[in-house]
Parts: sequence; C-alpha cells; structure tokens
Amino acid sequence: MASRAATVRPPSSFHTIWRSTTRFARTWPYLIPALVFFVGWQLWPIIRALWISFTNFSFLLDDSPESAKWIGFENYVNALQDPLVRDGLLNAAIFTAIFLPGMVFLPMVTAVLVDRVRNQKLATTYRLILLIPAMIPGPLIFILWVWMYSNGIGPINYVLVDVLGVYDLANQPTWLGSTNTTFVSLALMEWWWGLGFHTMFYLAGLSTIPKELYESARVDGASEWRIFWKITFARLRPILLVLVVLRFGTAYALIDEYILTGGFDRSKPTYTWTVYMWDTAFQVGDQNRGYAAAIGWIGTVGMLAVVLWLFYAFRNRD
Amino acid sequence: MATRAEPERIAATRRRPAPRRVRIPWGSVVKHGILLSCCAVILFPLFWVFLLSIKSLPDAYTNHIWPNDFDFSSYGTALTAIDTLPQNIRNSVVLTLATMLITTTVAVLAGYALVHLRTPGKRIVLAILVASLFVPSRVTGLISIWEIQDRLGLINSTWGLILPYQTLALAVSIFIMRGVFETIPRELAESARVDGASSFMILRRIMLPLVRNGVIVVLITNFIAAWGEWLLANTLTNDQEQRTLTVVMASANAGFGQWLWPTMAAMYVVAILPGLIAFILVQRWYMRGLQEGALKG
Repeated sequence: MASRAATVRPPSSFHTIWRSTTRFARTWPYLIPALVFFVGWQLWPIIRALWISFTNFSFLLDDSPESAKWIGFENYVNALQDPLVRDGLLNAAIFTAIFLPGMVFLPMVTAVLVDRVRNQKLATTYRLILLIPAMIPGPLIFILWVWMYSNGIGPINYVLVDVLGVYDLANQPTWLGSTNTTFVSLALMEWWWGLGFHTMFYLAGLSTIPKELYESARVDGASEWRIFWKITFARLRPILLVLVVLRFGTAYALIDEYILTGGFDRSKPTYTWTVYMWDTAFQVGDQNRGYAAAIGWIGTVGMLAVVLWLFYAFRNRD
Repeated sequence: MATRAEPERIAATRRRPAPRRVRIPWGSVVKHGILLSCCAVILFPLFWVFLLSIKSLPDAYTNHIWPNDFDFSSYGTALTAIDTLPQNIRNSVVLTLATMLITTTVAVLAGYALVHLRTPGKRIVLAILVASLFVPSRVTGLISIWEIQDRLGLINSTWGLILPYQTLALAVSIFIMRGVFETIPRELAESARVDGASSFMILRRIMLPLVRNGVIVVLITNFIAAWGEWLLANTLTNDQEQRTLTVVMASANAGFGQWLWPTMAAMYVVAILPGLIAFILVQRWYMRGLQEGALKG
C-alpha cells in the first residue's frame, strides 16, 4: 500500500483518456443494441423528416429528397394557411380535451375503490378483470368498437332502440357517423381500453401510503371526504400529473383510431393533422412528402410546446 | 372472551326479533356496485363478440344479442374463407415473436447498463429516451421510416417490418427494466465484481433471476405492441400475403361478401385470444413485475 501511495502521480491526460476509453468499451456494448434501433428508426427518422419538410419532395415526381428542391419555409407558410391543417390541429385539441379528464380521473376512482376492498381474492379478481382490455392491442380495440357502435349489428343501439326504446330506428344515434358524437364515442372507447391499466398506476401509488396516516386522521375526527382530499389525493397528485403529461402526448398525436373509425373522409372531425399528414404523404396527388413532413413537424412543435408548458405549470405549484 | 360471547350469541339468535337494527353497509354496497358495473362494462363487448362468432348466419345479421340458433362452424370457415389468412397469421406470429425477443433483450441490456454499470453518458441517454416519450416520432417520422425501408429494399416485406417494430415499445421497455434493476441493491453487483465476476456474468447469473417479473412485463408489453400494430404494417406493405392479421382485419369490409359477420367475429376472437391466454398464464408474475417498479419508470 505504502509503495503504491508513493507512486501516485497527478493523472496524465493519457491516463484519463485511456481510462474513459476502457470504461466506454466495457459499458457501451450493453447500450448500443438498443441505441441502434432507437436512433435508426425513431430519432433519425424524425430529424430526417425535418430536413424533408424544407424541400418540395414529392414521391411521384422526385427520386429522393436530395433531388428535390430546397424551398426553405415555404411548406410551413402554406401549411399554416391551410384550413385542413388548422382544423386538424384544432380537432386533435378538442378530442384531447374530451379524452384527458376521463382518462385521468376515472381510474383514480376505481383505484381508490379497489384499494379499499378487504377481501384479497376479490381485490385480485377486480384488478384482473379491469386489466383485460389492456391485453388487447389498440387497433383491435378500435375494430371491435366500430362494430359496437354500428347501427346494423351494434349492441349499443340494440339496447337503446329495441330494449329501452329511448330512440327509434329513424333517430337512433350514429355514434361514429355524426360530428357531434364522434369524439365522445372515441373517448368512451379509449376510457374502456385504458381504465384498468391506469388504475394500476394509481394502485401502485396508493400502496405506498402508510395506513397509520388514515388511522391517525380518523382518530383526530377528520371526515372521510377530508381524508380523501388531504391524504389520498395529495399523495396521488404526482402520479396524476405524470399521467396528464403522458396521455396528452399520446392523445394529441393519435392516428390509428382516426383512420380506422373515420377513414380519410375530410368532412369528418377525425381528419386531424396526423391523418392529413398520412393522406398527403402516401395517398393524395403526387404524394407531396415535403409538405406532409411540414404538417407533421407543426403538430410536433405544437405538442412539445404544450408539454413544456404543462411541465412548467405543474412544477410551479409543487 | 370467546367463551363468554358464545352463549350470548346463541341466546340472541334464539330470541328471533333482533332488538338491533340491521345496518346496511352503504359504503360497501356502493363500492362493490361501482366496481361490479365497471367489470360488466369491460366484459360485455368481449362477451358480445364471442357470442357473435357462434351465432347462426340469420341471427348474426340482426342486432339481437342472444341468438335463436348457435353455429360453431364460423371458426372453421374463418380459416378457409379468406385464403391468405393462414399466411397472415404466420406473419403476425413471426413479427411478434421477433419483436418480443429482440426488444426485450436489448432493453434488459440497456436497463442494466443504465443502473448497475458506470456507463459514461448515461444521463444524456436517459434524457433523450425520456424526451422521446413526448415526441410523436411514430407519426412524424413515418415518412422517413418509409424512406429507410425503401433504401434497404424492405418495402412490402414482412421480415423488413421487424426493424421498425423494435422501436414500438423500446423506450418504455428500457424504463421498465431500469425501474426493476433499481430495486436490486448495488452492493450485490459490487461484491460479485470484487469476487472477479465479469459484468456479463453478473447480469446473467445474479441479475436475470431477480428481474424475471420485469422481463415478463416487458415481454407482454411488446407482445401487445407488435401483435396489434397497424400503422407501420399498413404503410409499409401492400400485398395481402405480406400483411399481418390486424391489417387484414382492419381493411376487411365487415359484414359483406366473404367477410360474413360470424366469420369476422371468429377471426377477431382468434386474434385476441393469444394475448388473453398469455395474460392469464403469467398474470401473477406480471402483477408483481408492475408493483416491483415497472410503474415507477
């Protein structure tokens, strides 16, 4: 030890470089496989799309984005004046506003209720049944709900028309067909799908609350309502905020449900910016992918702005 | 206490008209009432589509929920009525298995490197992964994913879809594994390292058995993501033989021609059944994995 201590020198730059290189070589092989896919098919594509958005690349006219003309911000200027883009952004925002409260608060209610079930077996059964929809992939959920809402064979209108008689065949609701009900119908579908999975998040949060907190509050004579707000809700707030931010991100950029339930019908509210982007890039006219990339990036920037604002707003209050 | 209470209770039951009012536990009634109706709402569509798959043809074209006649032959016709269907199912199986295997492996490796190794730059990697959750790269990047696949000659190829499929749940999978790895004390890896074990040996021998539940959560997550994936498969393939079960079902004109309602419903049940069965089989570990830290990510 003594002899080693004697030989300690100030680390030369060669040593530090050597050390960090070997550390790199020992640890990064674990990260690289994941990063290859992440960079190759997630990070690079969106950066590349930014580059494409400044060109007039049309798939049917140009061989590659490189052979297309660099047109600066022209796509963006045109897109921001395009009523389809504006309505698309607005409609995505309307759907998000309808979807988000239910997706965040309903699971909180069920989680609090499941958490209070004393019988362990019953509590597990509730959890399992609630989680079933989470085991079905999204697009398959949407296919099922298109059938559920259908006028021809759908059980929802069967109950409303034939069993309850609330409506008759002439005025029965066309859930996904009419502008007024489309987003509510889609939101119901999403809530059905996400209820169980989000309940699990809250249950994980509830399990960290010490039971003594409740007991001492009860001893102090606090009402159940007050206990809920002051202890349960206060403890679940961080989870709630995370879910708001995460679900906002997914809700504003939905595309599968819009295409699968509404197709490419431009008169429908489901023709949001994402659907318009897909339509422009892969279907309509010369497949103007430069313009489509600009639409995609406008949506992305708008979304990021709101996410940053949400972070800021939530951080301020805590 | 018990012996003294016993005769009293017997006496109380003998004196039939109980002096005390029976208190209905309203809180409990409301609690179970709400939860049971939630369960009913969740199970009803699945029950309905199963029932549709075993309805006789005339019953299937009315909207009556309970049929007059049952007909179980739709499951047989589903596999023969659409001649590409066996191929589509095979495509879905291959893609899903490849995605589960590859993404889970790379997520375990990355999660390990982000928690238990002194990886330079891990904070930056983590920050980029977190940021990716808030960027709709799946939508906006689609144009360039098409371009990449085109350059690689993989447009209209089922096998080619394996590459973009790895990113479907990659970031989430890494977060789950990171959360689970963080529940393992660092001293465990540290002491094994002192004993001369290589980092890979530590991962294989010590860590892997401990993160088993997390691995199951990641496997299930990727199964769901890949099995039902529609956007990429629909964008990057054209021929029906190359497409997956989900894409074929989504583009089917349900109720018309070869896509008879009971046949469609039978296909649907076939499509969702593997996930449900797998979930029931591994639910115990899945639930534990969720609690162990998968949800903290």
